[in-house]
Amino acid sequence: MPRDGFNREGRGGMARQTTNLLQGTLDLLILKALTSGELHGLGVARRVGDLTSGTFEVKPGSLFPALHRMEEAGWLVPKWGQSENNRRAKYYSLSAAGRRQLRHEVDEWSRVSVAIETALKST
Amino acid sequence: MSWIRRVGHRLGQYIGRVPVEHELDDELREYVRLLTEEKLASGMRPAAARRSALLEVGGVEQVKESVRSVRAGHVIETVARDVRYGARALARTPGFTLAAIVALGLGVGASATVFSVVDGVLLRPLAYAEPERLVVVLHDRANPAAPANYLDWQAQANSFEAMGAAEYWTPNLTGVDRPERVKALHVTAELLPLLGVEPLLGRVLSAEDGEVVLSYQLWQRRWAGDPGVLGREILLDGKAHTVVGVMPAGFDFAPFWATGRELWASMSMAGRESNRGMQSLRVFGRLAPGVALGQARAEMAAITEGLERAYPATNREVVVTPLSEVVVGGVRRALLVLMGAVGLLLLIACANVAHMMLARATARRREVHVRSALGAGRWRIVMQFLTESLVLSAGGCALGLVLAALATRALKLMGTAGLPRIAEVGLDARVLLFAIAASVVTGVVFGLAPLFQRADGSIASALRDQSRSTAGGRLSRARSVLVATEFALALVLLVGAGLLIRSFVALQAYDPGFRAGNVLSMVVSVQGSAEAMPGRRAVFYPELLNRIRRLPGVESAGAINHLPLVGGTWGLSFFIEGLARPQPGEKPSAVYRVVMPGYFETMQLPVLRGRALSGEDDGNAPGVVVINESLASRWWPGEDAIGKRISFADLDSAQWLTVVGVTRNAAIEGWGLPPEPELYLPMLQVQDYMDGPSSRHAYLTLVVRTSHDPASLAPAVRDAVWSFDRDLPISDVTTMGRAVSDVTAQPRFNVVLLAVFAAIALALAAVGIYGVMSYVVSRRTHEIGIRVALGAKPSQIVRLVVGQGVLTAVAGALAGLAGSLLLRRVMASLLYGIGPADALTFTVAPVVLTAVAALASWLPARRALAMNPVAALSDEQSA
Repeated sequence: MPRDGFNREGRGGMARQTTNLLQGTLDLLILKALTSGELHGLGVARRVGDLTSGTFEVKPGSLFPALHRMEEAGWLVPKWGQSENNRRAKYYSLSAAGRRQLRHEVDEWSRVSVAIETALKST
Repeated sequence: MSWIRRVGHRLGQYIGRVPVEHELDDELREYVRLLTEEKLASGMRPAAARRSALLEVGGVEQVKESVRSVRAGHVIETVARDVRYGARALARTPGFTLAAIVALGLGVGASATVFSVVDGVLLRPLAYAEPERLVVVLHDRANPAAPANYLDWQAQANSFEAMGAAEYWTPNLTGVDRPERVKALHVTAELLPLLGVEPLLGRVLSAEDGEVVLSYQLWQRRWAGDPGVLGREILLDGKAHTVVGVMPAGFDFAPFWATGRELWASMSMAGRESNRGMQSLRVFGRLAPGVALGQARAEMAAITEGLERAYPATNREVVVTPLSEVVVGGVRRALLVLMGAVGLLLLIACANVAHMMLARATARRREVHVRSALGAGRWRIVMQFLTESLVLSAGGCALGLVLAALATRALKLMGTAGLPRIAEVGLDARVLLFAIAASVVTGVVFGLAPLFQRADGSIASALRDQSRSTAGGRLSRARSVLVATEFALALVLLVGAGLLIRSFVALQAYDPGFRAGNVLSMVVSVQGSAEAMPGRRAVFYPELLNRIRRLPGVESAGAINHLPLVGGTWGLSFFIEGLARPQPGEKPSAVYRVVMPGYFETMQLPVLRGRALSGEDDGNAPGVVVINESLASRWWPGEDAIGKRISFADLDSAQWLTVVGVTRNAAIEGWGLPPEPELYLPMLQVQDYMDGPSSRHAYLTLVVRTSHDPASLAPAVRDAVWSFDRDLPISDVTTMGRAVSDVTAQPRFNVVLLAVFAAIALALAAVGIYGVMSYVVSRRTHEIGIRVALGAKPSQIVRLVVGQGVLTAVAGALAGLAGSLLLRRVMASLLYGIGPADALTFTVAPVVLTAVAALASWLPARRALAMNPVAALSDEQSA
């Protein structure tokens, strides 16, 4: 890494693509990110990045509204705990309803992608 | 979006899940810190790392904004969902919903209407500066004051910062293409400034003679709002007056005794400063700052005493009354009774909705427990029920406001001539607030009723059927009490309406002596015209009447100085031949009418003995007079009055008038009042009317009996007048029919209103008892099934149910009767011809009520019987 300056390239050196995520897709990714355990805001963003190999970098402008929305809907359960630096941070985990929602979203996604693939294959 | 945010925030706080602002702050702050540390770890310098992190976040405030709006949006969404859910739940029971909305709508609508009227007439202050400090100073029994007394009061009284006087003036406006008699007032220069209203144009009157100020209406009507009217000269009673100002629209003075005045002219006291005999001035004052009414009264009493000592027998007791009281005093009682009545109605409506909601709540107990078991939070359930009942209230309120708007419009059109200031009544903000408050309170209080039943504890027992337990219990008793109360209130209204109806019927049966149908009338004045010249009037009026009689459609015509009922009355005392000189205060007096021949036959006022006046009773013939029955029986009881003689001058140098006819008593000033003595003189023999210079004697009211619609002949009669002289002012064109209708307007208004209220109350109470009985029957289906299976006859079941309903109603009715008796005094002043404890009304009303209750109970009973007994027996949970 260069000593000064700010590397605008994402981690892993790949060109970052800021893709417009549909709200539903973001929800799906966030829910998936939380399947392995509770995470705080930044943790969720990093996990989503990891899961998608850097394709999707979720910015706070979309991340936090989504997290709060899903919390209101009852899919995420908030908890205040200690962050890595021993400071107060808000952690999110999946609720039972959240897991159900994830399954539902996955099914939906499969359906949609199959349909689109079929559409593209035909001439 | 900010208001949404505020609303959402507050609601959210109640729901308990809004992130307090600093939580969000903490969360974001931690995010930034962690991000910064990541960047530090990857080798950036601290400052650069932090800056980079902040840049990536893209603005902490914006992020917070979007989270907040998501949160608020969620709350809005929840509320919207609750509203939809509530509306659906209500739609599932359309009967209940409709009944509740209608009940509430009627209650709110009626009370909003009456409140607008009471607000507009009673509560709203008069349109002057600081109106509560304005007073009217008159002698006892509202008698006006004499000029010299007024001037002394003004000079001596310190309690008033200003005092002014006014008197009637009805000049002819001539020199324009449509001459008319203008309703005006002569006022002293202090009067208009005393009221504190700034003129729209120009200025108020100065002490100069010959100035006038116009009203807005007159200005618009005659000069089309032309501002150039200022400084112009107009002819009033033939004299030039200068227009110096125009008052703003909505200014009305005097608001009680001389309504609809359109012009105020400077009054000159010249020559009258020491006159203590002629009482013509009405005096107004503004209390000085810091002076109380009591002080002013005391001071005036002291001044009067002083004046009485100096000038005996010229000072009667002086009364100081606040202006607002004088304006509305007459109708205050009626309006308060109305407020009371409509308050009762609103209570009944609320009671109705209350017990309907209670019944519904009982049925939904199970639903509440099931939802609890499925995990709905306590608050959620509360909010949902509350939303539902608020939706209901909103519906009721909306309906109520529509009804109120319609009713207010209808009332104004109904020509409620008796109510002062009625034209200014409208549905204003206060009424709206009142309606909304009433609905919301009802909705909230009774919507929370379901919550008061969750004390049962065990869910299992709630889920298990409870219907086999007795139909009694706390809730059921509460409902019965509510229904009984509704009936009590309804009975009070019924009795009130019944009394008013009977009173009104008695009023309608009143015989005014003459026949008012098909009579046209108008006032023709000769003041300031050629016809007023000596000798001319004796020719003009008879010729005019002849010309009118020849018009097609005219059956007869005559004239009188003042028309009965609407024309005002003058009184005159007289001496009776053969009677010793009477004591002061016991002088014979009568209402003074001056007529042209043809009056009696046109008005169809029967002459019972002797003859009517004719054209031969003129200046050369012996003096005659026609009297009414009341005068005859008062002064010549048991004798024939024909041939008796009276005179107006002193006994010694008398000019005797012989009584030649006795007529039926005619209505004089009001409707349904006891008869008074009245005498009629032939105009041709009355010097004042023939030649007198005063404008008070320079007009007559024509009466014309037509074969068809009298109003349609008005243009023809007017043209007949103008064919003599284009400049003769004509005013007060009306028909006797309209005069009668105006005079009975107030009692008619009372009756209609109260009857409507009583009908609504009865309907509401009936619906109430129907609902309760339906519910009771449905809960007792099981019991009824057993009884039928054991051999009970249908009639016994019906008797059981109806009996219970009637019993409740009767209990309510008894309470209502007691209440009605208590209100006797309040009603007494509004009644005519019957007493407030009228036996007929007090018997019929409870009977009607009980009949309605029996019917309302019978219908559900019949439904119960129509059910299959087997189904009834096995029925575990009723509807």
